Amino acid sequence: MSIYLFFYLAWATWRIETGGHTEALNMMEVVEGGIQTTVQDYPGRVGFLDLGMYPAGPMDHLAFRFANLLVGNPLGAAALEVTLGGFKARFDRHCVIAVTGAPMPVTVNGVEVPMWQSFEVKPGDLLTLGMAKTGGFRAYVAIHGGIDVPEYMGSHATFTVGGFGGFEGRGLKKGDRVQLKLTPFSQKLVGRALRKELVPTYSFEWEIEAMRGPQADPDYMAAEDMEFFFSHSWKVDRNSNRMGIRLEPHKWQWARETGGVAGGHPSNILDNGYAVWTVNMCGDQPIILTADGPSLGGFICNATLIHASSWKAGQLVPGRDHVKFKEVTIDEAIAMARALETSISETNIVRG
Amino acid sequence: MKGREHTNRAVIDRLPKSGERPEVIYRYAGDRFILLEYGDMVLDLRTNFRIFGLNDAIKKARIDGVIETVPALRSMLIHYDSLKLEPAHLVDILKQLESDVPPVESLIIHSRRIELPIAFEDRYTRADIERYVKYTRQDAPNIINGHNIEYIALYNGLSSKQQVIDYICSTQWWNACIGFWPGLPFMFPLDPRYAIVAPKYNPTRPWTPEGAVGIGGPCVAIYPVASPGGYQLFGRTLPIFDLQQRNPAFKDNPILLRATDRVEWQPVSDDKLEVLRAKVFDGSYRYKIVSYEAFHVKSYLKFLDSIKDEVAEFQRKQADAAKSAPVP
Repeated sequence: MSIYLFFYLAWATWRIETGGHTEALNMMEVVEGGIQTTVQDYPGRVGFLDLGMYPAGPMDHLAFRFANLLVGNPLGAAALEVTLGGFKARFDRHCVIAVTGAPMPVTVNGVEVPMWQSFEVKPGDLLTLGMAKTGGFRAYVAIHGGIDVPEYMGSHATFTVGGFGGFEGRGLKKGDRVQLKLTPFSQKLVGRALRKELVPTYSFEWEIEAMRGPQADPDYMAAEDMEFFFSHSWKVDRNSNRMGIRLEPHKWQWARETGGVAGGHPSNILDNGYAVWTVNMCGDQPIILTADGPSLGGFICNATLIHASSWKAGQLVPGRDHVKFKEVTIDEAIAMARALETSISETNIVRG
Repeated sequence: MKGREHTNRAVIDRLPKSGERPEVIYRYAGDRFILLEYGDMVLDLRTNFRIFGLNDAIKKARIDGVIETVPALRSMLIHYDSLKLEPAHLVDILKQLESDVPPVESLIIHSRRIELPIAFEDRYTRADIERYVKYTRQDAPNIINGHNIEYIALYNGLSSKQQVIDYICSTQWWNACIGFWPGLPFMFPLDPRYAIVAPKYNPTRPWTPEGAVGIGGPCVAIYPVASPGGYQLFGRTLPIFDLQQRNPAFKDNPILLRATDRVEWQPVSDDKLEVLRAKVFDGSYRYKIVSYEAFHVKSYLKFLDSIKDEVAEFQRKQADAAKSAPVP
């Protein structure tokens, strides 16, 4: 008999803590979708590159994981990626939320709340993200418990090109009702902040660490091409998105006259797999291949962003920002990756 | 550090050519990927076969820290966790594995044989080609009588549209890799006597129907979804990508084809294709997939040797025709 009593009490406690909300009352209603707001998880849909699938997932894996850390989620849990801002949503349950990434004015019922610090949202509250104006392009909204969209091929990430994953394979629109994971409200998760010194700075001029290759000098490009690549301040093209970030075309010297059997242009090669976050030399135009990019193709890639810095590419504002690439060695890249991964930890959380 | 290249900072290491194995170059592709390139920039299916031999060896070795591999024509991309597995150590393991790969002649590659119906010059590819003429380029030399097949005949020195169709249906098509878009195959003819080629559209075509089949250079592709495209079109086949997984062939994932598949074309009428496509979506069509077969490279190479005079003859005629054909 006592075991039944135990379960009854556990159930009753849970009902009180969640306000007795059933699934229907465990939703986020989108009031404004903004330019592009998608559900993502990290590391995304990994393991299908040989079937032609790039991983999707957040464009900025650092801010994304910090958002989850702040609300006590697993670091890869499904959360929102808000592009440029203009996102509004109403919550019908009591929950803990954190917003990280590009600075945007964040309010709850019109009252400003800090970014990089978890806060409380009560049933009926309206969360608003205004526009990013001071640098950076994407913000992340993590909700304690995570977003409850169906997994597609093992991931909740939205692959925008293919129209699958996430919420119906698309960005959120006004009127969408998005299911949240049913989780009791936890007061102790409110007011958790990231140490100030770890909050990245977002500017209009970026420096992104990258490694030379796979196809650089002297066999595919000229030494002066690579010098130019690593010293020029590249304007980010207006026409950039989750598939790729286009930079301006340049007249390259190249190492080869033509691509031979692979095609007339010296950027052509027989099709090969593309590393995620590589710089694809599409004819004369460099394009950073990002989360939803093509998995394989017939152009050389002269440099590849390193893991510790690839998140910066997700914060480049199309048509406005400039980026320089700084060459690092493999040892430096690994040391930076290790430091970055270690920083996403409970030890860097303080009471705000 | 012996044999390491110091002037090329993108190169981690090289493994010199040995016997029939071409040189392998191990390249950095950032701190989470390495790219292996084999031999010269030539299209040689033997290199592709060998890469599948290595792919099997990598999978069998279950290397801790290796996440996935992407075999392609003359390259292999490896995704790994450099916080678990040092790149230099990974390269050492990969060099070691090269000696475990049997000589290409003795490779036996697991290879499914898939028969796909195709409607040549079907109404959907016709409509998109018509739109291209109307809105993109009126004087495209690659469009003759509203389609691309007669141009393919001209470019390859074949006498008629029917001969192009016969050529396409006379060889199996080896799927050397999948990529660019989810599920998109890159297929090459296993019988070089029928190895037609074609230059690409110029400018590219803003529309291509889902299921369209076309050729660019020596490579035949099937478009998994409606998209822009540059290949000269033949016609249309069944869906090879279905997000909703409405047919048992898509039970595990939305992608039909795998690298190492061999595709055979079965010509059907345009109307018949429509019926078959409807059956795919209601789940009643069974894709014709023979999954237990293996591809014996040795007997294939023997076959190649037996037809080499015919191939040379065809290639001579083909080269002459290409010289006088207009290029888009």
